[in-house]
Amino acid sequence: MFRKTFSLLIICLLLPAFAFAWSPEKDVTVIVAYKAGSGTDTGARVLMQYARKYVGQTLVINNLPGGDGKIGWTELTRSKPDGYTIGFINLPTFTTLSAQPQSTFSVQSIIPVANHLTETCVVVVKADSPWQTLQDLVKACKGSDKFRCSTNGNKASNHTAAQLLARSAGFSYKAIPYGGTADQLLALRQGEVHFSCAKIADVAKLSVGDSPELRILGVFDTKRLAQFPDVPTLGELGYYKEWYGSARALVLPAGTPKEIVDFYEDAFKKTMTDPECIAAHDKANLHLDFKGSTDLGNLIFSQLVFSRDVISSLY
Amino acid sequence: MPDSLNLIAMGFMHALSPVNLLAMFLATVVGIVIGCLPGLSAAMGVALLLPVTFGMDPATGLIILGGVYCGAIFGGSISAILIHTPGTPASAATAIDGYQLTLQGKAAKAISVACIASFFGGLLSCISLYSFSPLLAQLAMKFKSPEYFWLSLFGLTIIAGVSSESMLKGLMSGFLGLLLSTVGMDPMEGVPRFTFDYSILDSGINTTCALIGLFSMSQVLILAEKSIAKRAKPAAFTGRIGLTGKEIRRLSPTVVRSWIIGNLVGILPGAGASIACFMGYNEAKRFSKHKEEFGHGSIEGIAGSEAANNAVTGGSLIPTLTLGIPGESVTAVLMGGLIIHGLQPGPELFTTYANMTYTFFGGFVLIQFCMLAVGLFGCKGFAQIARLSDAILIPAIFLLCVVGSYAIHNNYQEVVIMLLFGFLGWLSHKFGLNQAAIVLGLILGPIGEKGLRRALMLSDGDPSILVSTPLCWMLVGLCVFGLLSPLLMGRMGHGLKK
Repeated sequence: MFRKTFSLLIICLLLPAFAFAWSPEKDVTVIVAYKAGSGTDTGARVLMQYARKYVGQTLVINNLPGGDGKIGWTELTRSKPDGYTIGFINLPTFTTLSAQPQSTFSVQSIIPVANHLTETCVVVVKADSPWQTLQDLVKACKGSDKFRCSTNGNKASNHTAAQLLARSAGFSYKAIPYGGTADQLLALRQGEVHFSCAKIADVAKLSVGDSPELRILGVFDTKRLAQFPDVPTLGELGYYKEWYGSARALVLPAGTPKEIVDFYEDAFKKTMTDPECIAAHDKANLHLDFKGSTDLGNLIFSQLVFSRDVISSLY
Repeated sequence: MPDSLNLIAMGFMHALSPVNLLAMFLATVVGIVIGCLPGLSAAMGVALLLPVTFGMDPATGLIILGGVYCGAIFGGSISAILIHTPGTPASAATAIDGYQLTLQGKAAKAISVACIASFFGGLLSCISLYSFSPLLAQLAMKFKSPEYFWLSLFGLTIIAGVSSESMLKGLMSGFLGLLLSTVGMDPMEGVPRFTFDYSILDSGINTTCALIGLFSMSQVLILAEKSIAKRAKPAAFTGRIGLTGKEIRRLSPTVVRSWIIGNLVGILPGAGASIACFMGYNEAKRFSKHKEEFGHGSIEGIAGSEAANNAVTGGSLIPTLTLGIPGESVTAVLMGGLIIHGLQPGPELFTTYANMTYTFFGGFVLIQFCMLAVGLFGCKGFAQIARLSDAILIPAIFLLCVVGSYAIHNNYQEVVIMLLFGFLGWLSHKFGLNQAAIVLGLILGPIGEKGLRRALMLSDGDPSILVSTPLCWMLVGLCVFGLLSPLLMGRMGHGLKK
């Protein structure tokens, strides 16, 4: 009798593993924690346009902006884990927020699916500013405590970049939060602040051409960028030596069954290797960087360590 | 110059292709329907149709998005006039006088005025789009944190204009709105404020939600209350939609004024059609010879609000296309569409991609004509809604309120917020408070707060930064003018009568 019950239990436990592969039967909601038209949103829309083919259902983007991502991610982690809500997280902003006391979510409240984009951070000034090199800027900053830097929010990703530079170069400055990259860069272009740190895709177009508006002074990477071979890395100049940038990845709420996670990992892998999808990303100046669930999990973990040990010491 | 004339002409030729004509007609109709429905805003309409345009020629895609944009901004006025429910926040000011006209049986007239004003507002905004794009775009670069603070303050002086009954109660309503606007994530520190641990309040009180509650849900309560006491009925229905020559002469200056206001407001990032409609309405009232009609069904009020919000459309495209800085939320979505097509906003749009850009401009002009045709053709039909009996109308508006507030984020909690605001609206009606002033406080509060706090942060707390540029002084002057002019004009009018 006991044996019978036991084997039945085993069968019941194993059953889901042998169940038919899951696929969605209605529209899927994709939570983007930033405004429609923002960098994250644009990237998400490019990907979702091609993902439809492999997911088999319409992917509806739901923009839930506010609190540097807090609102959308809280909603994402509280969604029903039934495979009909998926979302984008930005690293390391997500791990930084989740490491804060009273955070409404943690890395345990999500399941990694696939990494989508990776972007490196750079230091920028206005093209008509007097600082031709990063050393110029650092020297000027050291001589005065009046230097201001626009950020995309208090303790948000670009604020962290500015802190990394300031700490490693040994100067102090004033960070002014603007609540988003677009407003942050507008403030720099208007001359309301002296310098800014932002992701390369957001400033690349403004920094090239006959009359560029911005000048890139340094790259947060271990090697120079292929697109800007003349711009030195911070490490070369003796400042911060590691890579710093952001990644945008797809995650599901915790508790989502494994077959659903597998389904999406596979669907997005196919999407991101689709030649048309790759061409669209190139056209929109987005740096595709697929990572599967396990690799993304490792990335999230290393970013959490970074958030806890490095970022917490910055503020 | 002949070169750009060539481009303009060629743009029109391309825009007149059968595919583009069909696209703009359908998009305008879809836009009007989306605009009509409370909860579905212009930004949502454009975002919904964005994926549809991916596979298309970029110009056709943009024409569709432009059609939905313009259509939705006009469409919002239809429900604002007929059932006191602004379909989009851009028509909040239209509801004030539009609904009064409906009660007087002049619904069709009100809609046709809204349509014609929207048409001219949109059409005139195309002139600035064509001729002064690079020049006007510079204005967006001039507006920094202190300027935004003054802009919001100037916006708040409108409270004086919309409170026809009592200035004190108007100010109280405005302060209530400002107070409510502090709910949500602190814009500088990123910590929750007055949210009482409700995550839905982290992003602040949703303006659309509050608007539906204050304007339409409260209307349901008021109508229901009246029906129980005594059936309220709109006056006998007159179907006249045409405007007399006299009326056209009366409305023209208002439309031109609202065009300028709407255009400028559209160019400034962060200030959108919802602010422009109030400013247009207020200026219409300020310069009107028939001030007493405002609040009791003035066609000038409708024209002032509608011409201004449609003039925003062309205006907000200017910084979007030239600088890559969207003028408001709708053009932000539109810019996302541009980037997905591989078109980066900037001078290239007017050189390398001039063909596409001018086709879109041509289409944008033609969209205004589509809107006029659909609006005028349909307004008699739309107006029939106002003749429905309360027994149908009350539950129908109630349903629209609930569905509309749910549709914003597919969230039931926002329905609850809408109902709370409905009750607040009903109470404010009872106490003679002003719903429009509450909404103004709610919209302008965050802009002013961010501007002030950021400016003081930049200057290390030195308030002189607030008057550091000539533009600041100009805006200060406007604020003073806004505050004093009702008094001065009142006295002048008094003197003239004597």
